[in-house]
Amino acid sequence: MGITQQDLLQLKEKSLKDAPKNWIRVGYSTCGVAAGADVVYKVLAEEVAARGLSVEVKKCGCVGLCSAEPLVEVNVEGAPHVFYGKVNKEVAHKIMEEHVCQKKLVENHIFEM
Amino acid sequence: MKQILIQDTNGNLRKELRDFHIALTSQLRERGLSEAAQVLTVADIGIYQKGIVAKILPEGFIYGSLQIKDIAEIIEKTVQKGEKVQALAIDRKNKQMRIVLRNCGRINPESFEDYAGCDGYQGLAKALEMGPEKVIEEMKKAGLRGRGGAGFPTWMKWNITRGVAGAVKYIICNGDEGDPGAYMDRSVLEGDPHSVIEGLMIGGLAIGANQGFFYIRAEYPLAIERIQKALNECYVRGILGKNILGSNFNFDIEIRLGAGAFVCGEETALIASVEGLRGYPRPRPPFPSVKGLWGNPTAINNVETLASVPYIFLHGGEAFGKIGVEGSTGTKVFALTGKVRNSGLVEVPMGITLREVVFDIGGGVLNNQSIKAIQTGGPSGGVIPEQFFDTPIGYESLQKLGSIMGSGGMIVLDVNDCMVDISKFYLGFCVDESCGKCAPCRIGGTQMLEILKRISEGKGVDDDLKKLNEIAMAMQKASLCGLGQTAPNPVLSTLKYFEAEYKAHVVDRKCPAGKCASLTSYSITKEKCTACGMCARVCPADAITGNRADKYVINAEKCISCGQCYEVCKFASVLRQ
Repeated sequence: MGITQQDLLQLKEKSLKDAPKNWIRVGYSTCGVAAGADVVYKVLAEEVAARGLSVEVKKCGCVGLCSAEPLVEVNVEGAPHVFYGKVNKEVAHKIMEEHVCQKKLVENHIFEM
Repeated sequence: MKQILIQDTNGNLRKELRDFHIALTSQLRERGLSEAAQVLTVADIGIYQKGIVAKILPEGFIYGSLQIKDIAEIIEKTVQKGEKVQALAIDRKNKQMRIVLRNCGRINPESFEDYAGCDGYQGLAKALEMGPEKVIEEMKKAGLRGRGGAGFPTWMKWNITRGVAGAVKYIICNGDEGDPGAYMDRSVLEGDPHSVIEGLMIGGLAIGANQGFFYIRAEYPLAIERIQKALNECYVRGILGKNILGSNFNFDIEIRLGAGAFVCGEETALIASVEGLRGYPRPRPPFPSVKGLWGNPTAINNVETLASVPYIFLHGGEAFGKIGVEGSTGTKVFALTGKVRNSGLVEVPMGITLREVVFDIGGGVLNNQSIKAIQTGGPSGGVIPEQFFDTPIGYESLQKLGSIMGSGGMIVLDVNDCMVDISKFYLGFCVDESCGKCAPCRIGGTQMLEILKRISEGKGVDDDLKKLNEIAMAMQKASLCGLGQTAPNPVLSTLKYFEAEYKAHVVDRKCPAGKCASLTSYSITKEKCTACGMCARVCPADAITGNRADKYVINAEKCISCGQCYEVCKFASVLRQ
């Protein structure tokens, strides 16, 4: 017996309930990967693990701002929700240190849609 | 804690911006508010041509045309009390609307749970409850038309395919996106694969098919990988296979890869390719809806079309039909590229004007150049000059202008783009991609390209423009498939709107945009030259010589007119003629 509509609804409820409060999304489509999203993702994921933070780092598709890739969307409690564009390794470290930990935004890389 | 974001405006306001920044931080410091507000420059706020722009978080107020005298009020009202300064405020309306891209960038495309969390496969569940007739009825209410280019109503395509007798039917998702500069489908396949699968399943249900295919070009490895992963997941979960969601509907999906032929995006050629034959188009009728894959009734839908389908069943056809304008409902994704500030994907409701897309969303032309035209619809489309930018976007309105909506490529051209060069590029593309089966496309395309090459080299003759027109008409009428029929469109539309530019090439032997190498020469104005030597360093032909004392000169015999010295010179001392 395959999945039913009920199962789908339960999955939805579960995913809403389990939705993390703090998350970082990395644009991980062709445009992002070509611009270096793989390195950015790795840095962010490693930093989160190393610092023992409860922040979900997720690979996502492209939001459309391809000229600003690699694009990182950050939503952590205590700081505004923003998009960072043209992120590289150094900026990824800064996002972790300044935005995620100190709750201060990182200079020069915010892109508003 | 507040954040004051100041937009870095790319150059021309540098000094004012710096002064404003310094004044703001020092005034905050004087009032002892340094810790209460973080001031930072950011790459982009999305407001252009409004001088100094700032956004204040967390309130999200946007202020424009700012001057140093406004700072006190901003600090007193907004920073200290969280109130809006009405006189400075800019009301930014988000002109984008996300239906096709609703999940792109929000969910992990490789996670079934993420898609389920966004009402995934609930549209399918509703469609299964409704049954095929009602599904088509709902699609009719929605008024969704094919997003691949031709704009055929999707409900009608499904209805015709459903009505043809036959035990075996197929539905194919056309992911052979090949227009230069267009990549909407790739993004959807990569960013939200399940939504396309769901759309394909609903289509299969509607027409009475039990087998679907993805036809994806092999140049999209990541898209193929993600669709394959999504399909595997669907089989494991039982979304695909037998008795889907407890109903008696059975459905299987396989992937077929395109091998890089543009013509395979044409439906009859696509069918031949899926069958394992050479990707040749064949005359229609019979249309694929009647006689398609292996002779069976087949519906072929574009990726973007299918990605809109689950939304229609989640929110109802009527709600979808209210978006956009009469005759062109819903949203359209455009791949905005070329000389535009923010290149990327935009999704807008139909009926929005071209100007809004290019200037309000795209941020206008790069480097503050003036805009000449936009090109839509890829090699099957045409150019639209600036005087028509207030046209609302719709299938018919763009067609009237001599272009088409097409799959959604939108290339911004500025004054440095030569229209002869543009049409030569697109025609060259079609000549390369012509399958060679029918003479009008094979021979006509080549002949037109020869003429265009001649014109761009300054060897055009008087009746060349007339001849271009004649061959174009013949190709439109007599070619076998869409590729040949539409290949002359870029030439015709540039001729229509920019005939003077063609004439400048033919009569005056000049390229007004300075793009055609044979008609353009470069020289250095000695008075302006600062002898920095940048031009000599970038010259690929070693045609520039000189030194600090004598300054630099271009050797006309060696110069290949590539224009790199012109681009790189910061003192406008390289002269283009």
